[in-house]
Amino acid sequence: MAEKIRLHFVKPGLQTTIQDQGRVGYQGMGVPVNGAMDKASARTANYLVGNDENGPVLEITLLGPGIRIEGEGQIAITGGNLSPKVNGESVDMYETLDVEDGDMISFGRPVTGCRSYLAVRGDWQVTPWLGSCSASATKASELTPQSVIQKEQVLEIEYEELIPPLAIDEEEQPELTALNIIRVLPGPEFSLISNLTIGDFFSRDFKVSNDSNRMGYKLEGKLAHFESAREVISSGVIPGTIQVTNAGQPIVLMADAQSSGGYTRLVNVVTEDLDKLAQMKPGDVLRFRLVSL
Amino acid sequence: MIILPYGDNALLINLDQRIDEVINAQVIALDEAIRHLPGVTFTIPAYCSLTVGFDTELTTFDTLKEHIGTLNISGGKPEAAKVVYHIPVCYEAPYAPDMEAVTEFTGLATEEIIAQHTAAPFRVFMIGFIAGFAYLGSLPKALYCPRRTDPRRLVEEGAVGLAGYQTGIYPTNAPGGWQLIGKTPVATFRPDNEVPALLKPGDYVQFKSISQEEYISIEEEIKEGTFEPEVSYG
Repeated sequence: MAEKIRLHFVKPGLQTTIQDQGRVGYQGMGVPVNGAMDKASARTANYLVGNDENGPVLEITLLGPGIRIEGEGQIAITGGNLSPKVNGESVDMYETLDVEDGDMISFGRPVTGCRSYLAVRGDWQVTPWLGSCSASATKASELTPQSVIQKEQVLEIEYEELIPPLAIDEEEQPELTALNIIRVLPGPEFSLISNLTIGDFFSRDFKVSNDSNRMGYKLEGKLAHFESAREVISSGVIPGTIQVTNAGQPIVLMADAQSSGGYTRLVNVVTEDLDKLAQMKPGDVLRFRLVSL
Repeated sequence: MIILPYGDNALLINLDQRIDEVINAQVIALDEAIRHLPGVTFTIPAYCSLTVGFDTELTTFDTLKEHIGTLNISGGKPEAAKVVYHIPVCYEAPYAPDMEAVTEFTGLATEEIIAQHTAAPFRVFMIGFIAGFAYLGSLPKALYCPRRTDPRRLVEEGAVGLAGYQTGIYPTNAPGGWQLIGKTPVATFRPDNEVPALLKPGDYVQFKSISQEEYISIEEEIKEGTFEPEVSYG
């Protein structure tokens, strides 16, 4: 059966993109990893509709899109709670939902977190680039043309037989708060930085600044007594690397980060906690805790 | 050689922290020996370091560190046979918005800047910053100039710039602070290819000065698919 379910975007939302688990393996060519910011929530959404967990989902940021459904199928919404609704009625997150022809999916006020993930049962008709359907950080309109959702765009998904509904218990859903403890490991230049600066880094709260996006989160405030130990010759950086600019400004590199940089790499966020960070928005407060492997 | 943990699923190999062709050749030799090892997910070869990502379900930091310690790269020397890409560049006014600033900073005439920039092949030390951007060097001392104090919001694909002792070609439109002294019609980033970056670390680039007329005619040939940059070996 080659029926399709179509998603008509009545409005695109603030920043709605198609993301999967990213394109790993091309950083040596300067190509960022991309992929869902909160990877676990993206996987869970796909699980709830019986799709390959590494497949594409919609990543929805703070202000969600309006979507009219053509055809029928199953969806699931995970991650940040952006007040999802179907036909104006609130719907539950973290469970399989049936949708019918003409249904309207919309979002309201952000309640918790920053990013929702919307999975749709079936085979997404999107063109991958370098093994991933994720929106490319550069030249997205050429390289991954359907991946940055535009007004009036139509997304086609090849119908697959529906599954018995699934749900994730509330206690197994990630807890999202505006105050987070983020675990970090010492980074490559950690041992070259003074105890005063390191003490400052671990003893205070940081606020996520407005200058934060899928490439990186700039944290408010500068580190005390920061002195770049020596010039770092351009070297690899990865999502989770916390760079400190020469002025003492910490920046957490996220999914769309470039693959090399020349700033001090102070610490690295534990991979699992990157999902937590992905759900933080400007104004949210975090604190770092040093752990060892 | 120092091997450091780098987050929970990567490691960093630091060689002697200098910009040097021999050290960079060792990075490339290490990369070739490591990138296909079981569990390795990606590598980022840089000037004098190699970042190695791995899948923690398939391997560990200790396993990789032990293996890397047994590799013999001490004899690394610059590649015996150089792969040289001959890249045509038009250094004339419409394509060289910072040429005047560079003449002022270096005290060299435009002709002398072009002569020095096209005198000998430059090595690709690494690819980074944006997809396919090759860091080329090292420039002769006389060509040294700092980055622009006000980076441009948009530098056009093909622009050729200088920054410190480095030179490079913008593979796509991007923001950037390099001093632009010319432009090439040749695409260095080809997204439809299996390997999208034209250049890789260890390759060499020989720039060749062309006129505006030649630029336009090469641009036409590229559109028709009849132009590829000349590659020489040796």
